Amino acid sequence: MDFNLSSEQKLLRDSIVKFARGELNDQVVERDRGQVFSRELWRQCAAVGLLGLPAPEEYGGVGADPLNCAIALEALGYGCRDGGLVFSICAHVLACVVPVWQHGSEAQKARYLGGLCDGTLVGAHAITEADSGSDSFAMRLRAERVGAGWRLNGSKTFISNGPVADVAVVFAVTDPAKGFHGGVTAFLIERGVAGFSAGQKLAKMGLRTSPVGELVFEDVWLADDTVLGTVGGGASVFGTAMDWERSLLVAAHVGTIERLLETSIAYARSRSQFGQMIGKFQAVAHKIADMKVQLEAARLLVYRTASRLTVSRSISLDAAVTKLFVSETLVKTALDTVQVHGGYGFMEEYEVERALRDAIGSTLYSGTSEMQRNIIARWLGL
Amino acid sequence: MPDQLMQKIKNFIMEEFLPGEDADELTETTPLISGGILDSIATLKLVMFVEEQYGVNFEPHEVDKENLDNLVSIVRLIRAKNPSAA
Repeated sequence: MDFNLSSEQKLLRDSIVKFARGELNDQVVERDRGQVFSRELWRQCAAVGLLGLPAPEEYGGVGADPLNCAIALEALGYGCRDGGLVFSICAHVLACVVPVWQHGSEAQKARYLGGLCDGTLVGAHAITEADSGSDSFAMRLRAERVGAGWRLNGSKTFISNGPVADVAVVFAVTDPAKGFHGGVTAFLIERGVAGFSAGQKLAKMGLRTSPVGELVFEDVWLADDTVLGTVGGGASVFGTAMDWERSLLVAAHVGTIERLLETSIAYARSRSQFGQMIGKFQAVAHKIADMKVQLEAARLLVYRTASRLTVSRSISLDAAVTKLFVSETLVKTALDTVQVHGGYGFMEEYEVERALRDAIGSTLYSGTSEMQRNIIARWLGL
Repeated sequence: MPDQLMQKIKNFIMEEFLPGEDADELTETTPLISGGILDSIATLKLVMFVEEQYGVNFEPHEVDKENLDNLVSIVRLIRAKNPSAA
């Protein structure tokens, strides 16, 4: 067990931090205000390999193992103050690139992975529906067998990248009698297919530069070769996406937590009240000390889970533990950062109020904290 | 003579998912998935147990109600993969 990064891993981390700081932070306040998703920044991220981190090199990816993916995403979360862009990248990589790479046919991989990795395409993952959020297995989007294909009717909502997606992994019920295991199938669908449309972009509290919206399916006909994995094998595709997302999306959070810690330290050392820097007051110092403790624990959890991602038969328990702890740590750290900054923290200019708004969603998406606790409890036999 | 393999699977299910319940209530044909005894995590736990115990590997599409909804179908699937499983 070696807790040190190798020289290659340090280089990976440093190069992404430098790129993110240099290229991704200009105008972030304005982009957040206008809820702007930047295709230009998307392409720049692709150029340094961020959009195809785990995909094999022969398909245009970087071929990074899960631990190196975690290190890269941590560096992105640390260097990039545009939380929405980081979130969009994670959704694209972990919930679209990974399932296509892991479950796609050779033809599907050849068709989509190149564009997903080089930034030409934006990917999305669509399972949530208006009446099935945490209870995602109760989905109603129906795919009926029609000749040599399928006809889809229904809708999805809260789909990250949905309004700008060029290709989406979509889950639909193909056999209601079988339920989620055996009765749900994943499909790959492209923008422009007749009957398939993106509804309006939804306004939201945080992650405002990451577009989220509805996807609508009205008599959409899809050929058999759009099935991702096997007919009835949607649960497996979904499981892969959730394992990667819950394990590695939070790697970006670790980077954000470290940045917020450093922001808090810098402010506590520069701001004086009652004749001394506020960091000398125990109430402030202890808050920041706790941030440091939680950061280190969060990082260890992420690295361990990432290391086990492709070697364990099931990562479900580790992923739930990690997702729960890191996302709740992110929210607490962001809230404490605002508190350390006092009234200035409430102002847009200091950018910590945005960090808090961006953090709140982390205990909701990819399974709420309550669902993670349910999963953990079930694994414990409760 | 009772099927030894089926009894082992039954014991695992009783211990893990139905602690304190009457074992006689779990018959060969009791619906496990459609009856709510096996949810997604319980199904995964069962699959991991079977794979480890009997050296078999379940393909993703095999982990469904058709193959795992009762003891008879579970045992049938295991034997199809490992005829000497006991």
